Amino acid sequence: MRLTHASIALGLMSLTPSTGAFAAESAQFAKPLPDEEIPSVQSLPAQYPKDWVLIQDFHFNALIDGRLAIVDTKSPDLPLKGTLRATQFANVLYSRTKNEIYTSETFYSRLTRGERTDAITIWNTATLQPKGEIILPGGKRQQSVTYTGVFQFTNAEKWALVANFTPAQSVTVVDLDGRKVLGEIDLPGCTHIYPTGSRGFSSLCADGSMISITLDEQGSVASSKTIASVQDIDKQPLFGMPAMVGRTAWFVSYYGELRGFDLSGNVARPTGSANVGTAPGGDPQWRPGGWQVISSDAKGLLYVLMSPHGREGSHKDGGTQVWVIDPATGTQVRRIDLEGMATSIAVTREDQPQLVIARPDGAIAVFDAATGKPLRDLGATVAFNPLVIMPAQ
Amino acid sequence: MSGIDKLTETLSRRLAKGTSRRSSLAWLGGLVTGTAALPLLPVARAATPHGGGTGRPPITSGTPQDPGDRASCDYWRYCAIDGFLCSCCGGTVNSCPPGTEMSPITWIGTCTNPADGRAYVISYNDCCGASSCGQCLCNRNEGDRPQVRPQSNNDYNWCLGTESSVYNCSVAAIVGVALEDAQ
Repeated sequence: MRLTHASIALGLMSLTPSTGAFAAESAQFAKPLPDEEIPSVQSLPAQYPKDWVLIQDFHFNALIDGRLAIVDTKSPDLPLKGTLRATQFANVLYSRTKNEIYTSETFYSRLTRGERTDAITIWNTATLQPKGEIILPGGKRQQSVTYTGVFQFTNAEKWALVANFTPAQSVTVVDLDGRKVLGEIDLPGCTHIYPTGSRGFSSLCADGSMISITLDEQGSVASSKTIASVQDIDKQPLFGMPAMVGRTAWFVSYYGELRGFDLSGNVARPTGSANVGTAPGGDPQWRPGGWQVISSDAKGLLYVLMSPHGREGSHKDGGTQVWVIDPATGTQVRRIDLEGMATSIAVTREDQPQLVIARPDGAIAVFDAATGKPLRDLGATVAFNPLVIMPAQ
Repeated sequence: MSGIDKLTETLSRRLAKGTSRRSSLAWLGGLVTGTAALPLLPVARAATPHGGGTGRPPITSGTPQDPGDRASCDYWRYCAIDGFLCSCCGGTVNSCPPGTEMSPITWIGTCTNPADGRAYVISYNDCCGASSCGQCLCNRNEGDRPQVRPQSNNDYNWCLGTESSVYNCSVAAIVGVALEDAQ
């Protein structure tokens, strides 16, 4: 028997039995397995397909090791395509036009202690390698359980806006393409960033109003306008993360009221309201519940995660059904049974859209958004605490 | 410690000792920007319906006037807590684990002690500067409101005003008796 160079080397390491022990098997397979080229590292398509989602893993058991998971929802055996660092209450943006992912994070020079650095890191979507960073001044970026409104694009994705909380509230304006910070806007009493117009944003304020701010070419405030009484925080509080239908943001309240705001102009414009409707079986009543509780599809239907055990304090507990609402007509179109508890939901923009849900144990399941039929269960294979699901397109 | 932190602490204690149970939270919310709760996993209660304490021997005070299991989310002081219970993390119900720093800014809640029937003002300070404890996660959201009202929202990381903002666990210390219930 002719020994190859590689098998001699292994034999010398005395980790393998003598070749004689497997003589019969060797006769069965005339040729050895080919050598494999190492080092070897996978890469991804620069543009992620429509059936992929980005899932933010809060990783509460080690917040300093938070991650972003890139997930193929159609692959039951290999759903996790790769992970990115997203540490310490990080926020994430994904640019489909630039093929870049941005993480807004906080670091300490000695992991848990030392000098604090807040930074935006720019990642290549194909290699998941960093390609640049922008240091955020002041050590003030808002750290909280993941909300999309803490970090948002404006100015056609050339700029980003970062919410700060010390607990004084402000917004840092960042030129992503120029890799520099443009300035900071004080925003006392207002929270979260909803991109508005071509270069600006709106925020919800503690007096129940909304403020819309436009920015000039230098990133300073060009104009601002307050829209009074857009929410009753005591009686009808709105979940912080809306579903987008085009440039209209649809918020849902703790009790199932839907409020639309057209954010296409320089000033947010309330467009109307609707209600999730009713269903039997509430104990004591159906209410929206979970973390990412509302999503939309390409047709403009809204999907709301609902709990049958709605009561004061249940609004983050998760839900067991998704109710599909047509906000144009104010009607409940259908209800989808999730076959158990879910905590976050999102709908893909595929031709046949999928409803992707995260369960409390971290499992991801996929349903046909149009029929409600369960399609596949990906198991708890991609994230420890999947809080926010972002369809890739 | 910043000026606002000192104000917060002073105000908290004054409120704890000198105002009614019903008015104390409203006062604090109106007067102090940003005193609020702890970082937490919002959906933890869905994952672990009874919070911390499952499968652990109980941690008790040893006095019948302070009943209950301090490793359990159902312990009376935890009525508005959110995070890992320091009792399970090397600390106690009112002190941080070694190697951490207690946050000067706190969220205070008012919880009724089932043994003596009094309503106590509870300070939920965070312990900061070590990685997530990971034990006895407890999340209650009664009275929680969106982030637009910081003093009523428990999704913020309140490791503010500390050397490090890295969150480890949360305590639940008695800082006073609500006046109307002490009489």
